[in-house]
Amino acid sequence: MRRRIREEVAAVWWRLAALVGLDRARWAALPRMTRRTVKVLVWLAIALALIAWLGVWHWSALPGAAVVIALVLPDWGRVSKWIIPAAVLALAIGYPYYGSKMPELPLFGPFPMVSTMVIAGVFTMMALGLNFVVGYAGLLDLGYVAFYAIGAYSAGWFASSQFSGTNLNFGAVGLYKGATGVHFSIWLVLPIAGILTALAGILIGLPTLRLRGDYLAIVTLGFGEILPQIANNGDHLFGTNLNLTNGPEGITPIDGPGFGNGLHKLLGLPANYLTAGNLDAVFFWTALVLVLITVFCSARLRDSRIGRAWIAIREDEIAAAAMGIPLMRTKTWAYATGAFFGGVAGAYYASYKSGAFPNDFFFQISVFILCMVILGGMGNIWGVIFGACFLTYLNYEGLSNIGTQVNDHLGTNIDLPKYEFGIFGFILVVVMLFRPEGMIPSSRRAAEFHEGVHDDPLYDIAT
Amino acid sequence: MTIEGAPLLDLEAVQTFYGSIEALKGISIDVHEGEIVTLIGANGAGKSTTLRSINGLNHPRHGTISFKGKDITHEPAHQIVRRGIALSPEGRKLFPRMSVTENLEMGAFQRSDKAGVREDMDRVFDLFPRLAERRNQKAGTLSGGEQQMCAIGRALMARPTLLMLDEPSMGLAPIFVQRIFETILEVNKQGTSILLVEQNALMALEVANRGYVLETGRVVLADDAKALAKNEDVRKTYLGEI
Repeated sequence: MRRRIREEVAAVWWRLAALVGLDRARWAALPRMTRRTVKVLVWLAIALALIAWLGVWHWSALPGAAVVIALVLPDWGRVSKWIIPAAVLALAIGYPYYGSKMPELPLFGPFPMVSTMVIAGVFTMMALGLNFVVGYAGLLDLGYVAFYAIGAYSAGWFASSQFSGTNLNFGAVGLYKGATGVHFSIWLVLPIAGILTALAGILIGLPTLRLRGDYLAIVTLGFGEILPQIANNGDHLFGTNLNLTNGPEGITPIDGPGFGNGLHKLLGLPANYLTAGNLDAVFFWTALVLVLITVFCSARLRDSRIGRAWIAIREDEIAAAAMGIPLMRTKTWAYATGAFFGGVAGAYYASYKSGAFPNDFFFQISVFILCMVILGGMGNIWGVIFGACFLTYLNYEGLSNIGTQVNDHLGTNIDLPKYEFGIFGFILVVVMLFRPEGMIPSSRRAAEFHEGVHDDPLYDIAT
Repeated sequence: MTIEGAPLLDLEAVQTFYGSIEALKGISIDVHEGEIVTLIGANGAGKSTTLRSINGLNHPRHGTISFKGKDITHEPAHQIVRRGIALSPEGRKLFPRMSVTENLEMGAFQRSDKAGVREDMDRVFDLFPRLAERRNQKAGTLSGGEQQMCAIGRALMARPTLLMLDEPSMGLAPIFVQRIFETILEVNKQGTSILLVEQNALMALEVANRGYVLETGRVVLADDAKALAKNEDVRKTYLGEI
């Protein structure tokens, strides 16, 4: 339909152009950039003429312009690929401004607070990280929380007074006079945490990734339990006085991010997030940038050579090995990449909360992140983002909002957030029954769930 | 049936195990440059295991495998592919949710010469015009014969010196079987040595130069393909003559 209209418009257009002596063949022979420039100039001229004709800028001209643009835009397919992401991004960037002003929704109540959105951003990063392992390479990892923990504690090591014996200040902001310990700028701590976590991922991955399926899941589950225990008992490691994690009290306070006074004066970037007036908003925007980087890396890696190898391993491990894909190395890369983003997310979250506490790293978090990936759609970036945002919202605000509304209307007294894991479990069961490929699945994954995958016994091909 | 010169591939008393089960009980075979060699035998004779041992999917516990004079017994599978041995596995094992083109690209995973890969892709499409027609179709939706073509094409994409085919005629219509064997001859004529595992012994012995008969993990007969085709025991057991 749209194409027909466009063709009609084009026909009229060329009949008009023919009057001035232009013809279509010669136009098509011009270089692409020339054609595009001419097109833009013509439309600019028309727009200016319209504005001049209407006398003043008028809002009612916008819908008209939108219709015109929708009909005339030369390559609708390519543009539409960007329109939805751009719109979502614009909505996200503006959220701190309009979020609190939105009307209450029936059942769901008010829109989430900006602080919840920060956490949603962190969990989106972690879910995208887990998506490398579960979604792309098809390895079930039940201990992802370990990477989150390592990231958070890295922030503790490099941006707090934990190691008060050494004094090192490298670009950190907001320190009081005479602060002891290692203080790196958070912008440095984030990549450091990512790399440390990726290394840990390789260390954990080398022995475990030789296992398959259920066995891998069980071993990763074990690691997910071991690391929080180390965190809990790491104040006297190996009976020495080496205090790595400060035990059950955790490491706190951890420095906040900030760009320092120089950049503040120059570019208006916040000097210190913790003293910024719109604290949650700046944390949210930063999280957004981190998520964007993660999305970019996800998309690029998925379409790269190694991404193709991940998908090949997921589809048929024997065939992949026979094609010369080094299984161990490729799987370990998936693990390390996933760990990297988990670590960055953990470090950022620790900086936001200003602390890393062993009690934050329960097994439930691993399951929670896995739920996000499964609910949204394994292997699909959009799906995972949706899953992460939705479940974070439910966990932090949604359930209590819904509970309040239900209690108000029915006169009951149910503490809904108490049942959170029951509710998540229920959601997961429903998803697995009716839409096993997730809410927004990737096309390959959807096919797998409906046709099944080869899973033959495999002998010693873990090379 | 002695052949001059050093063999391209040489297996010396190879013993391979699945857990504690000894699948290969000391197999010695060789393939010379430019040859088609076939392994025939009943189910469970160890034909596929031999290919898997060569390919590095199941490393032998004893014995040596050498290729172009180098010991490759314990090299990982990806290294062996890089050395020039490609396997089209039993049951085809395509990546069902990848398109035909993507499957072929996976075959060239170890190669980095893009121009050469594109050249080989054209060559595969020349060899199997049927695949060219279906290049954007998901491999899982192809017919059995087309899938086998895709599997062979995928193995060829590694530009191997030695192509190993595991049961290429399994479950195919006679017309496709004919087509596949013609292709095997053509690939061989272009200079690729071939190690062929087949249940269809008649066809295999027709195209091969030499053959080995395997029984429960041992080589029981080794001879020229023509001689094997005339051998009474072979005819009785594998060619279905009474």
